[in-house]
Amino acid sequence: MNTNLKISNVTKIYPGCVANDNISLEFNSGKIYALLGENGAGKSTLVKILSGVIIPDEGKIYLNENNLKLNSPLDAKKNEIGMVFQHFNLFETLSVFENLIIDSDEQRESVREKIDAIMKKYNFSIDLDIPVLNLSAGQKQKVEIIRCLLRSPKVLIMDEPTSVLTEQETSELFLSLKKFSEEGILIIYITHKLKEVMRLCDEVAVMRRGKLVSVSEIKNENIESLANKMVGQNLKTIKKKKAKTSSDQLIKITNLNFTSEDPFETNLTEINFSVNRGECLGIAGISGNGQSELFQVLSGEIISEKNSIEFNNNYIGDLSPQERREYLMAFSPEDRLEQAAIPQMKIFENVALNNFKSSNFFNNGLINENKIKEHSKKIISDFNVNTDNIELKSQFLSGGNLQKLIIGRELITSPDLLICFNPTWGLDVGAINYIHETLIKINEQNKSIILISTDTDELLKLSDKISVIHKGKLSKIMNSEEVTSEKLGILMGGAN
Amino acid sequence: MIIDINFIGLIIASIMASAVPLILASCGELITERSGVLNLGVEGMMIIGAISGFALMTVTGSLIIAIFGAMLAGVLISTIFAFLTQTLITNHVATGLALTIFGIGISAMIGKNFVGIPGKEFPVLFEGLKDIIPLLGPILFGHSIVFYFAFALPFITSYFLKKTKIGLIVRAVGDSPESASNQGINVRLVRYACILYGGAMSGLAGAYLSMIYTPQWIENMTGGRGWIALALVVFSTWNPIKILIGAMIFGGLTIIQFHMQAIGVRIPVQFLTALPYIVTIIVLVVISRDSRKIRLSTPSSLGKSFHKDN
Repeated sequence: MNTNLKISNVTKIYPGCVANDNISLEFNSGKIYALLGENGAGKSTLVKILSGVIIPDEGKIYLNENNLKLNSPLDAKKNEIGMVFQHFNLFETLSVFENLIIDSDEQRESVREKIDAIMKKYNFSIDLDIPVLNLSAGQKQKVEIIRCLLRSPKVLIMDEPTSVLTEQETSELFLSLKKFSEEGILIIYITHKLKEVMRLCDEVAVMRRGKLVSVSEIKNENIESLANKMVGQNLKTIKKKKAKTSSDQLIKITNLNFTSEDPFETNLTEINFSVNRGECLGIAGISGNGQSELFQVLSGEIISEKNSIEFNNNYIGDLSPQERREYLMAFSPEDRLEQAAIPQMKIFENVALNNFKSSNFFNNGLINENKIKEHSKKIISDFNVNTDNIELKSQFLSGGNLQKLIIGRELITSPDLLICFNPTWGLDVGAINYIHETLIKINEQNKSIILISTDTDELLKLSDKISVIHKGKLSKIMNSEEVTSEKLGILMGGAN
Repeated sequence: MIIDINFIGLIIASIMASAVPLILASCGELITERSGVLNLGVEGMMIIGAISGFALMTVTGSLIIAIFGAMLAGVLISTIFAFLTQTLITNHVATGLALTIFGIGISAMIGKNFVGIPGKEFPVLFEGLKDIIPLLGPILFGHSIVFYFAFALPFITSYFLKKTKIGLIVRAVGDSPESASNQGINVRLVRYACILYGGAMSGLAGAYLSMIYTPQWIENMTGGRGWIALALVVFSTWNPIKILIGAMIFGGLTIIQFHMQAIGVRIPVQFLTALPYIVTIIVLVVISRDSRKIRLSTPSSLGKSFHKDN
């Protein structure tokens, strides 16, 4: 049966921001639709309206000519609109099966049969009786999909589904989505990744700053045209110039091991690598394979053996982050608001946090506020942070601006080595470009970078050498010209 | 020296009786905490239950009205907590502490007229069977209905959480209120219900103290049992069966150290008094060491306010 979903003049206004400005769209089953836009363009708001999580200020939704009243997620479910959120809506400590039966009114046995049938049909294999926290991101997503399929939906909405997946998992997902589409489920695919739109979808709607910019068929578009519509300006593409190969070794990791007492952390086994001056070492991997442990060991949040880390001819494995900073290392952790900055503190206070020893900032234990403010203003202007109020609490900065501030804070001490972990995660194209340019500049100044990232494109763009981390072990270190994203994908999956 | 075997039975029975209020309050608080709400007002709700039960019994003369009235009083005072933390989104810890202070104060005020009034005898079940079986007789028989309910409660609670749909929903809300809300579960309603249930159980625990255990009203008669109940929930890692074990150890040592003091064992009194607290915590920590299980049974959202934004 044909499904027709119509969004008619939907508007949602938040204080200080129009998230959806009079959006009208129409979808028909049999096709896969992309909803494309940068972070903050309003696409998540729109799909949350479709799934009943957010109630619009104005506008109507029609499914097969019926006006839907979507006042809660339950209403969306009843109307057979299924949604897989970007951040999984699973209960980590409950078993897979418990997660799946929680919104079902049927008997446990009959649900189990249904789940088995679905898994068989789409070639999923998941142990139903283990807690969800033991699953990989790809498996968790499958659980979400099964949860939707159990209600035999007419519409399936996928919000940024590939941000946590490997290449292989992405391909598997796309195959499944195409299969669902053939079976008559209307698919709406939300993303900011242009390649995926070109690969998967039939039609694309582009949003920018809350407004619908264009609706077109994929065959009339290409990556550049979509990128320009999405960003609203012509994007320059950045390329890294091949670095002069230097043989001046800056940091050397020898036989580094880390055994965690927490069963949900990954142990690191026999990590060996070195980075030369002016070089960028990329470390690829699916999240949860030891990246955060590796970052913590390198930054000194976890202390290791003194001799395992040699930096600038000093053994520093047993030093704290603060002491390592004195040897001119700098760090940009993964979680901007949890690890890199304190959300409730003002911008200039956060700027002072990585520099307790500086006599500029502190005199005899007292805070020299003027100096810190001066310094913060310099960072804000040098690193293009889009605010002029250094008294602003850092939680109110957008992800991109906060990341620029953090990188700026770290770089202003002119470190020899910057270690960053997913520096562009969740940022929009403009901010990503800026961060990438900054990182390239660091290398050009003969300083080094260790870039731990789950974004393969980013790694291929910025790294001179690449290694893959899998279950706490590093693969051999490869020159980035020899590597393709497919090869990385295979290594990330654990093959040799 | 010949020790009467029934005397040992009586000691064990008295240990179990002293564990009853801890089990009741802990199992109630466990449900509250499993839904992600940290209610530090257990002591306050217990003392309100204690005075309400005693006062209603004295005024109406009906034990049934008194018992259910005490539970209702627990529900009412926990409604204040629920309204503040769930509707007005106040901080759980501060609100819970305020609730305890409020409960102790108001119970003392109401209780002024009830000091020194003797309690009533509470009917016991299976009295006749008590002397038939040696040792087990005094342990199993001749107790109040509340006593039997308390010892069934950990198993009922465990079954409820593991096997029933509503138990699953409670755990889901405690794990991730955001996800639960997106699944169409009314998080606020579930948490209100769990808080009110916790209040009812604390009220019952208090009524047991003032009506059955020591049938009289004494100001501040809960004497910190509410705090012990809270500690039991955490140290048992939210496992009702371990609460039962912990409450028995605590009750046991409290009784035994009384006897030891009475016999005149030459150990400093302060140490003996501290013994139940220390041993209970050590034992519970030792039996709950599996960090994987702790992770699985700890409500991830415990104590965090959930505010549904629109």
